[in-house]
Amino acid sequence: MGDRTGVGLTECAILEALEALGAHPGRRYRRNAAVLAAVEDRIGLAPAYAYEILLDLARPWTMPLSLIQGQGNFGSRGNEPAASPSYTESRLAAAGRVALAAERGDIAPVPIGLINGNVYAKGTRPPFRPQAVIDALRLVIQRPRVTSKELTDVTGPPYFLNGCIVTGDFTALAAGRPTVLRLEARLSISEDHHSVIIDNFPPTVNPDDTAQSLASRARVRDWEAQHPSLHRRAHLPLSNLRDESTQRHGDRLICVPSHGTSPEQLQEQLRDIYGVYTTITAALPRPLPALLRSWARAYPAEELLTSLAALEDAIRIQPARS
Amino acid sequence: MTHNPAPAHRGHPAPDAGTAGPAGHYPVPVLAAAVLVAEGVSFVLVGSAALWLHGQPVPVGDADVVIEPNGQNLRCLGQALDWLALRPRAVPPLRAFPALSLASVITSYGRIDCLLERGRIDWERLRQSAVRIPVADAGVLVAARAEVVALRRRFKGVTADG
Repeated sequence: MGDRTGVGLTECAILEALEALGAHPGRRYRRNAAVLAAVEDRIGLAPAYAYEILLDLARPWTMPLSLIQGQGNFGSRGNEPAASPSYTESRLAAAGRVALAAERGDIAPVPIGLINGNVYAKGTRPPFRPQAVIDALRLVIQRPRVTSKELTDVTGPPYFLNGCIVTGDFTALAAGRPTVLRLEARLSISEDHHSVIIDNFPPTVNPDDTAQSLASRARVRDWEAQHPSLHRRAHLPLSNLRDESTQRHGDRLICVPSHGTSPEQLQEQLRDIYGVYTTITAALPRPLPALLRSWARAYPAEELLTSLAALEDAIRIQPARS
Repeated sequence: MTHNPAPAHRGHPAPDAGTAGPAGHYPVPVLAAAVLVAEGVSFVLVGSAALWLHGQPVPVGDADVVIEPNGQNLRCLGQALDWLALRPRAVPPLRAFPALSLASVITSYGRIDCLLERGRIDWERLRQSAVRIPVADAGVLVAARAEVVALRRRFKGVTADG
């Protein structure tokens, strides 16, 4: 992992390859096949492995701070795979350029690893809101005696893209203890009061699988008469399920309750379906205040504030994402 | 084998998916075990779900089930998992079950860990000391508390409280 950014070594190699190919922010994209060949030259990582990492760096739903901008079919959160690297292109995002500058020592370290976490890669470090982490770091630089509680209050809870609901023992997480977080899609009742809308799926959930699972839970099983009480709890009273996902509005399932079931009742049952919710075990390598303080202590305050401002600029120009 | 009533406690703290909701609700993985019973699968429940059914307020993350090792039951398990799995293609093929030690399947009830090797080794012993506990109206065969604790200590290094 890059010591000065918290970005992984392979990720750094991909960013360096893009820079070497001239794929700077706002400039022309480069074909990913060429980027992967350059990565293989640099660190010997086979293109098939490096491509998965490159895709994660560019997919808008994986991490709060995209390091790469992609063009072409980068796959969906569902079952649609990305196109071959010969048909997709990439260039550095502004945050990617800041990461490279920090890794090279042109600017002081930036906390990109702390912001993005590694849950997207099946790790345990959750992501945090980028601006909140920057604000917390500024606070600890400007007021070294700031309390741990103030710091964790400013940082806030883990922040997953797409606005899924996160619940869990955030105090334990901030104290460095492994914690189970529950990530839940948002459930709302349609304006016409006829259906339940599921959107804002957790980033680790595949909405296509969830749709399939909901449909299967709506099928009547032959043990219905034998176990009526269990059937009431297990059977999903759905009369219709529509996938209204779009590129623009993200993943969205419309669930129409069956006759005799209110949308509110269906909404309650949907909350207990794995796929509408998921759980992850989250853990930080150290207590959150200690992580923030170690950043602040490592370099002169003025240099850190400059690098934080560069990162803040990169966040500001990052395209809005759902 | 004794027939116990459902445990009196209902109501554990958030946030784990498996913790209980309002009174009368079961952790989702416990319901998974009941659904397997309804589907005709023969197994003994162990792990945190078993401890919860024994009345211990632990968070329940998944359903750990020791599967009775006979061909008919494995076929039944395969069919049930095909229906329950979020990704039916991820369910191991039936012919692989006799050689697998574990089949871990993500379902709409969370993860179900089918402990196949444990079943081949310990089925008779676990079944003899197990108790049947009603979940909704399905009787789930739950390993004796001492067995559950011993298995957790052996494989996860956790105590009865954790």
